[in-house]
Amino acid sequence: MFLYPISLISLLLLSCILQQFIPVISGWYDARILILPLVVLCASSTVSTAGMLILAFLGGFLWDAQQILVYVQGDSFVYHSPVDSLKFGYSIMLYALMGFLMQGIRPLFQEGRWYLSAAFAGIAIFLYLFVEYLIRSFITGGFSMDNGVIEQIGATSLATMMLAPFIFWILFKIADLCGHPIDYRH
Amino acid sequence: MKSLNFFALLLFLAGLVWVFTLSEKAVRQIQKSYYSAISPIISQGGKTERFTQEFLEELEHSSDLKKKFEQTKSERDRFKLIASRVRDLETENNELRSALAFKKQTEFDVVPAKVIRKQPLLWGKMIEINRGAEKGLGVSLCVLASNGGLVGRVQLPGQEISSVLLITDEGSQVSARVEGSTEVGLVVGRRTNYGEAPRLRLRYLSKNAALQKGLTVYTDGRGKLFPANIPIGTIEDFESGPVYGEAEIIPAVDFTKLQTVFVITNSPGN
Repeated sequence: MFLYPISLISLLLLSCILQQFIPVISGWYDARILILPLVVLCASSTVSTAGMLILAFLGGFLWDAQQILVYVQGDSFVYHSPVDSLKFGYSIMLYALMGFLMQGIRPLFQEGRWYLSAAFAGIAIFLYLFVEYLIRSFITGGFSMDNGVIEQIGATSLATMMLAPFIFWILFKIADLCGHPIDYRH
Repeated sequence: MKSLNFFALLLFLAGLVWVFTLSEKAVRQIQKSYYSAISPIISQGGKTERFTQEFLEELEHSSDLKKKFEQTKSERDRFKLIASRVRDLETENNELRSALAFKKQTEFDVVPAKVIRKQPLLWGKMIEINRGAEKGLGVSLCVLASNGGLVGRVQLPGQEISSVLLITDEGSQVSARVEGSTEVGLVVGRRTNYGEAPRLRLRYLSKNAALQKGLTVYTDGRGKLFPANIPIGTIEDFESGPVYGEAEIIPAVDFTKLQTVFVITNSPGN
């Protein structure tokens, strides 16, 4: 019963390590393959709501430990306008929201249409990055939206989505090994 | 709603509240532990990134060579290749010479470090260097380039590697002065898009400041974060606002070609 969730958590940690090896695609809008969020989203389609929330919490926690910048403030007399940064933990919330979206199309996934979930994972990544950008702009107070941002977010989402079938393949293999039914056809 | 899901949701919300109420110190500690745990992986990851970059450059280079091959004789191409390699070596040699000269000339105690990874973050502007706490690096130490220009400051020191927040990050602030004037202000990073050259903004200047293009901006040493008189960049443009004036700055450092940096270990942030 717990073998599959434990395997998913191991996969999450592994993706965290793998993320360090994935370079920026500098020739294509500085796109990245965000493997950790992708694993959370794909795995969210294969577990219950409770499982998805656990994955979102762990994934978001790890992501923020890696990505959040805590700025050191200098003397307040000179640095009179303190720099606001995103609060540690905001990714957990965004991951959970995207996880709920993935759960929304879970019935289709369970009918065997995993490719729809794979495409939806790309859309969820796009939404995640877009919302993250909006939050960052809101906090730093400098909103600017142009083609460059959209292209970078789009390229990252597309590059990440390309990997979704592979992640689903791994998840199916793990589910088979653990005897965990993630699909009505089983 | 199933009782299990309801229970999980409650737990999730409790966890979220816990995370959101973590102090800055606790967050730093979490990040430090995380960073220490993945430091060896980052070093390897940096190598992979460099390898991929070199491979892509090689591919690009190869297609160029093919075109040249069709146009000129093979012998001439061979000499061109040799010349190109010599140029690379010459550039590398110059870089190392200037790094060595910088270390000899600088008035600060510096630790030289190699940039092992650029752009590790999705949005923030950071680099990772191959020196950490074991070489005496600590939070907020000032980092310079081999031309003496300001690069940024140490954000998170691991045991063997550290991350450096660049001055081009939009969360970076540097107290600065303009040469030959009484103008002081804060240099902040500006958000740039893909392909756009990094730019800085010098804020909180007098609205009638008489600043000309090309004037150098230096750190002024106030605020206990950076030592004084480190070049930050040169003024490109000045705009007068209703209350303050702002200037566009071209950084003194070419961040795209950054290979060797120097961490000041006796700076005020130590």
